Amino acid sequence: MTRSMSPWARCALAAAALIVLVLADTAVAQPFGMSRGAAPPIGGLTGFILEKQAEFYRMLSATIRAAKADGSAGWTLLGISFLYGIFHAAGPGHGKAVISSYLVANDETWRRGVILSFAAAILQALTAIVIVAVAAVLLNATAKAMGETVRVVEIVGYVLIVLIGLRLLWVKGRALLRLLQARPHDHGHHGHDHHHHGHAHGRDHAHGEHHHHEHEDEASAWGHAHAPEPNELTGKHWLRRALSAVIAVGLRPCSGAVIVLVFALAQGMFWIGVASTFAMGIGTAITVAAIATLAVGARSFAGRLAKTKPGRGMILVRALETGAAATIVMFGALLLAGYMASERMGLF
Amino acid sequence: MPLRLLLAAVFIAIAGAAMAHPHVWITMRSDVLVGSDGAVTGIRHHWAFDDMFSVFALQGTEAKEKGKYTREELAPLAKVNIESLKEYDYFTDASADGKKVELGEPADYWLDYSDSILTLNFTLPVKTPVKAKELTFAIYDPTIFIDFEFDKKDPAKFVGGAKCKMDVVYPREMTYAEGKALSDIPADAPNLTMAWGAKFANKLLVHCP
Repeated sequence: MTRSMSPWARCALAAAALIVLVLADTAVAQPFGMSRGAAPPIGGLTGFILEKQAEFYRMLSATIRAAKADGSAGWTLLGISFLYGIFHAAGPGHGKAVISSYLVANDETWRRGVILSFAAAILQALTAIVIVAVAAVLLNATAKAMGETVRVVEIVGYVLIVLIGLRLLWVKGRALLRLLQARPHDHGHHGHDHHHHGHAHGRDHAHGEHHHHEHEDEASAWGHAHAPEPNELTGKHWLRRALSAVIAVGLRPCSGAVIVLVFALAQGMFWIGVASTFAMGIGTAITVAAIATLAVGARSFAGRLAKTKPGRGMILVRALETGAAATIVMFGALLLAGYMASERMGLF
Repeated sequence: MPLRLLLAAVFIAIAGAAMAHPHVWITMRSDVLVGSDGAVTGIRHHWAFDDMFSVFALQGTEAKEKGKYTREELAPLAKVNIESLKEYDYFTDASADGKKVELGEPADYWLDYSDSILTLNFTLPVKTPVKAKELTFAIYDPTIFIDFEFDKKDPAKFVGGAKCKMDVVYPREMTYAEGKALSDIPADAPNLTMAWGAKFANKLLVHCP
């Protein structure tokens, strides 16, 4: 594994480097992040992430074998799995993008973003465990059959992503259109916020007498009324609504988790594989939550900026939300059309 | 601003998503097959999977003696592998003096299992034997789900073709100029990810007089 440093020291160093790089990359986003000279094979941040996650992933098999002989290696395995999860989620993939776009389109809080990210990651761990438990443990299915099962599950997830995106696009797009149409009469900027359960901007609009122009319509768009209902305030309502997003993103198990589970099973240590899968899930959740929080921060910054420009600013915010909804549709459609890489586990 | 920035962001997101994560590592050895007339007739791949994927691929395959798989026991799995690989053109590109060379279906194939490592062996014939100044074989997965790497000690050799010479080209780090050129490609350039994967592919350059 290592010559001079302990795996733990290397892991910690790599994690610190990742955080720095994510921050740096956000600041100077170049196409492919490659214009900064010294680049690993794929280039920039992506290359670094792929390299690191590959490194941790490849430590997994040796550590699982070691855990068979010496139980204490199980803790090392959990640590490596956790770090693998962090780096894996930072690499290419649609989960972060879909969750972030969903949060932006719905103007959710960062706290909800974190909950969503964790729920999706835990669901992802569970699907991997259930698929391997049923297919490999109970049915002794082949690798190819398992790959095909994942493929079916993945298609269901992609269809869900498209549906969620379309629904959001319908609601947000209509709100945007209404705002654009209303503008000449100078009513538009009053109506924008009524369908937000959060009411983050609601109080800024002193022109209450105009509310009735818009808000009935707006309220029906989201299917709930302007006034926050008690269950919205306790935060249960949004979770039910977000459940579809959690399922859409979390349904497809990580190929790595499935492979690790089968490997652990073959060593007679399925439960070690299960623990490793959950550790990966927690790592994944942390990365996705961090990126989602950035997106929510950017969204609320745009929202605050918009408040300084009544009318026009709100159109921009609506356009941003509509764009986020369109992004979800685009990701789902590209994934379905097979343009984006899908990991064909059943290949060999 | 915004439109161009937005387009760039969307493009980066898509370009990134067109990549998978490496989950399969293949260490390969290649035999370049040369006829008595000096024309190249094909390439025989020996692809050894990493230990974790070897175990995964063997899931559900029964062996009489636990932990030992004979070539016969592995034959159904080998068939599945070869049939699945067709869709990906066997991750092998061939070109002669810059022109694409058509490859046929695998002539023979089998799996070996030893020391917990599964190795897939198969021969890819060229449709018509090639005589060229330079014949190139490139082996890569553009989505990088599979990470191909030449065997360090024994990357490639000739079968026949005593007078032929071969250069093995390993993937290397991109230079600053290349990275810049790549980032300057307009967003609507077709097949960028393919070009990208190929650029860092493992290559065999074959020169037969």
